[in-house]
Amino acid sequence: MTEKVDREKIRRVISSVPLLSASATQLLQTTTDPDHDLQSIVRIVKTDATLTARVLKVVNSAAFGLINEITTLDRAISYLGERLIVGIAIGDCASQLFNKDLQGYEAEHGSLWRHDLRTAIASREVVTQTGADINPDLAFTAGLLHDIGKALISDYLSGTAAEIIAKISAEQTSDYLSAEEEMIGFDHARAGHELALAWKLPATIAEVIRFHHTPAAAQPEYRSLVYAVHLGDNIAMMGGCGTGADSMHYRLDTEYSEYLHLDSNTLASILLAVNEEFNKLERSFAEAGDTH
Amino acid sequence: MGQIILGVGDYGASNRPGEEVKTFALGSCVSVILLDPKTRTVGMVHVALPEAAINKAKSLQKPGYFADTGIPALLNEMAKFGCQPKGKGMVVKLCGGANVMDTNDTFQIGKRNALSIKKVLWKYGMGAVAEDLGGNFSRTVTVSVDTGEILLSSPGRPNWKL
Repeated sequence: MTEKVDREKIRRVISSVPLLSASATQLLQTTTDPDHDLQSIVRIVKTDATLTARVLKVVNSAAFGLINEITTLDRAISYLGERLIVGIAIGDCASQLFNKDLQGYEAEHGSLWRHDLRTAIASREVVTQTGADINPDLAFTAGLLHDIGKALISDYLSGTAAEIIAKISAEQTSDYLSAEEEMIGFDHARAGHELALAWKLPATIAEVIRFHHTPAAAQPEYRSLVYAVHLGDNIAMMGGCGTGADSMHYRLDTEYSEYLHLDSNTLASILLAVNEEFNKLERSFAEAGDTH
Repeated sequence: MGQIILGVGDYGASNRPGEEVKTFALGSCVSVILLDPKTRTVGMVHVALPEAAINKAKSLQKPGYFADTGIPALLNEMAKFGCQPKGKGMVVKLCGGANVMDTNDTFQIGKRNALSIKKVLWKYGMGAVAEDLGGNFSRTVTVSVDTGEILLSSPGRPNWKL
């Protein structure tokens, strides 16, 4: 019999996880404000010596192939773009969650970080290649955090994967998300949303985490972004980069076409771009001595 | 035991006893496996997209990425092992090509990959004798050079053979 989970239990799990650093929290707040400028990002990173060192390491990693070393933060940040700065900051302080072995999903080590990074890249590509009026950097950040709830509920799901897959195959349950709810009384989208509230993440990101599998239920003002990450998540799984047993066991909401204009050629071009960018970024993070 | 690991868009072949040719987590990608009984060579290409027309430059740099350039590239590679360059006498098997649930036409990349691969094979007069295609789960594929046996795995499922 699997142990049931309620909100109190999830909150207790969350309380055992380190909080986001002050600089990561500020970066998330600043980058979701449409009126911010690059200098405000530089100012935040400068207050955090560890983050500064990591940013310089990443930009000078061989994966970026720069001929001349970049030694100033201003140049590093304008070269990498704010999405990668936020990515490095979040990846560092939430590494305990991103690096968690998702035993409940029978995932390989490092799957959550790789899936989240690939979803981040894919969500951004969806926005840029469809020409949607969404901040592409915000799509990247939201993509990076969308599945963080899996790290909170994975342990409770131990030993359930085969049964869940059999139920989905027999159409006894709709998808992996509803199966999580049926098995342990909580799904990873709701768990992630609780973390978003505890970490006081911006409302847009909290909304993406909560509704990335059910985008039609998101608040209208956030819905196009939620759809972009919904597609980014599916594209990451199609590229063979899921988080284990649940990969591709979710439903595509084809109503995305109300918000994003995507034909099959554009999708093919997105898949290609995602693969290239993912290989580069994964390498640069690894070379920079990242634990992911 | 030696392993040749193929990433997305990679192709490779081996005739070394004891070796395996492997690719991880095929989602919508399709793995084309060519077995040449005469030279005891195993070849595989990890195809991601149906047609090279989407990006010609990429197809020159990494032909294995696309069905229409990947299969000729694999045959060329296998010719280096003494195989017949047009694939004569080879056994063809296909795996992968999964689709997300409730997919629409646009997102049926897995299905389009498989169709395009079959068209290209047909031009060579080749056809798959076995396939494990479609569904909504990812597959890791390992082929033994010694036996030509294909082992498939997917998290949460018992391993199976093709």
